[in-house]
Amino acid sequence: MATHQNDQVSFNPQVQIMHLSIDDIILETDNNLFNWQKNTSIFDAHPFFELLKGFKDITKDQEIINFPCIHLEDASNSKICDVTFTLKKDETRVVIFDYTQKYKELNQIAQKKNESILLAKELELRNKYLLEKEEFKNSFITNLNHEVRTPLTSILGFIEVLEKTKLTFEQEELARIIKRESHYLNAIIDDMIDLSKIESGKLKIVDERFSFNKLIEGFNESYTQVAKEKQLVFETDVEPGIQEFLIGDRTRVYQILNNILTNAFKFTEEGNVKLSVSKNYQRTNKVSLNFKIEDTGIGILEENIPYVFERFTRFNRDQQVPGTGLGLAIAKNLVELLHGEIKVTSTPEKGTTFNIKLPFKFEVVKAAPKRKKKKYKLPERKNKFRILVVEDKEVTQYLIMKILISHGSFFVDVAFNSEEAIKCIERRQYDLILMDLTLSKVDGFQTTRMIRNNYGDKFISDIPIIGFSGKINDSLRDKCIRSGMDDFIAKPFEQEDLIYKITKEISKKEAAH
Amino acid sequence: MKLSKKVVLLGHFGVGKTSLFRRFMDNEFSEEYKVTLGVQIKKKVIQLPDDRELSMVVWDIEGHSDSVKDTRKSYLLGSHAFIYVYDLTREETYINLNKDIEYLTENYTKTPIKVLGNKLDLVNEKEIKNHLTEQNIPYNCLTSAKTNKNVQDFFSDLAKEITE
Repeated sequence: MATHQNDQVSFNPQVQIMHLSIDDIILETDNNLFNWQKNTSIFDAHPFFELLKGFKDITKDQEIINFPCIHLEDASNSKICDVTFTLKKDETRVVIFDYTQKYKELNQIAQKKNESILLAKELELRNKYLLEKEEFKNSFITNLNHEVRTPLTSILGFIEVLEKTKLTFEQEELARIIKRESHYLNAIIDDMIDLSKIESGKLKIVDERFSFNKLIEGFNESYTQVAKEKQLVFETDVEPGIQEFLIGDRTRVYQILNNILTNAFKFTEEGNVKLSVSKNYQRTNKVSLNFKIEDTGIGILEENIPYVFERFTRFNRDQQVPGTGLGLAIAKNLVELLHGEIKVTSTPEKGTTFNIKLPFKFEVVKAAPKRKKKKYKLPERKNKFRILVVEDKEVTQYLIMKILISHGSFFVDVAFNSEEAIKCIERRQYDLILMDLTLSKVDGFQTTRMIRNNYGDKFISDIPIIGFSGKINDSLRDKCIRSGMDDFIAKPFEQEDLIYKITKEISKKEAAH
Repeated sequence: MKLSKKVVLLGHFGVGKTSLFRRFMDNEFSEEYKVTLGVQIKKKVIQLPDDRELSMVVWDIEGHSDSVKDTRKSYLLGSHAFIYVYDLTREETYINLNKDIEYLTENYTKTPIKVLGNKLDLVNEKEIKNHLTEQNIPYNCLTSAKTNKNVQDFFSDLAKEITE
């Protein structure tokens, strides 16, 4: 009741009544709200009243005009009022209602409403800006990757060629360093691409059946060697009863464990590194495994632990220890992507332990093991096989020529662009085309479609085509196949891979005829 | 006799009408957004080139959320000019501009309308001009109440125009 009474009081306006002369002089005023002087012009009271100057021409006699929510003030106070003018022939009556409290309450509501609309818009714009920035970053990294991989392919390829020539001991050593550093640069690019893919949500998790034993054996083999070189001990300890074949993303699991093992070896100068695997739980066809990687390295200070998985984090400023500071960030992102958990504990000067829980599935019914990579042989022939390399960068042309010619089974022709490639295939019979996807003007996809669709002569339209590019993404191989190519190889390619793919396509074609 | 002209600031809420009003009247600016309820009125005396003085009474009225039709009609009574303000960073504040201008032209035939794009400090001037041209969005002047860019010149030009 009291509230109701209070409300009534607050909504009950105070009123000021004024009478104005025909020439807008204040004749009467009760000054209940504002202290305005009698016998002065109303225009001096407040600029609001200046609208009366224009009124008289546009309003009729006895007309009542209301102005709600007008901010008025005099020398000592300010109020929000409704003002009513009654215009007569010989005078004007002004009634001012003080609704300050009511309007202030309304003002708060309007303020909140408008603020929330503006804030939503601001957030939308900020979000849009961040997405654009993210997109720019990702496309920048993809393009940078392409630009760096092309010369890197050449460097790695030529080192392989160089290693097969007669070298002095010093030259061999220099070539080995160049190779090691180039592989390291390649690994950095891979890390950047992976992180960019994870952050943009473009990294696809692929569930496949894989041999868990072989995964661990692989680590055993490669890290025993690393341990030997650093005079450390590497141990693996796998709990019995873990399924031999698991279903999960083998590549990403490998990447996680490999990043953490690499890290452990980097920061351990004496003692050992141990990888243990145990079961957390197993239900129907699901199993959760715990991977524990312990080292006896330099350890991490307690205050640094929260930052271990941040990008570009390196607590050890020793430049002798290589690394970009991306490895653990990638590992953590991948673990989360696989719906797992990763934790780290460490004691400075004693060592660090990473615990990673990862979920897998397994087949309840035993399936046949995966088939091995099929072996192919080049068909018997008197003459060498003729390959057309379509590539606009001389250095890559030269590298491919070196690889193929040194193999001894191939003749190589080179076309700089699509037009030259078409001329070549019309003039000569080829056993295979190696097609760069990013040719200027007409790209590798279009050129392939032209070869497949424009010729009745099967010697031309059926030539096996392998696409290649430094740009790597999951859909690129599919795009190659859709355009009519037979396969795709990513740069930088290993000699062995390139020869394998060429041999495979040539022998498949020979078998088909 | 001193000339007196009523000028009304119109437009969506949050476009910076009060900021322009404060910048012109008191040369002040605040980053804080405060909603305007109803109308605030102030006047400023402007010296005209021919030595006359104009008392420009500016009505800063509460912003609408959809169309200028929502504005209380009594506020527009006896106006000598309308300044329609929009926010260069928020498309929804000028998406209905042409319709609003049409409405004002039809209902207030003798009142000139000036269109201001405000918050110029937050956009690239060249890019926004191209964008407005492409979208067929008119403007008489682009301003920044924050930096005071073009504000005083705009009101001076308006003063000349409405006293001619």
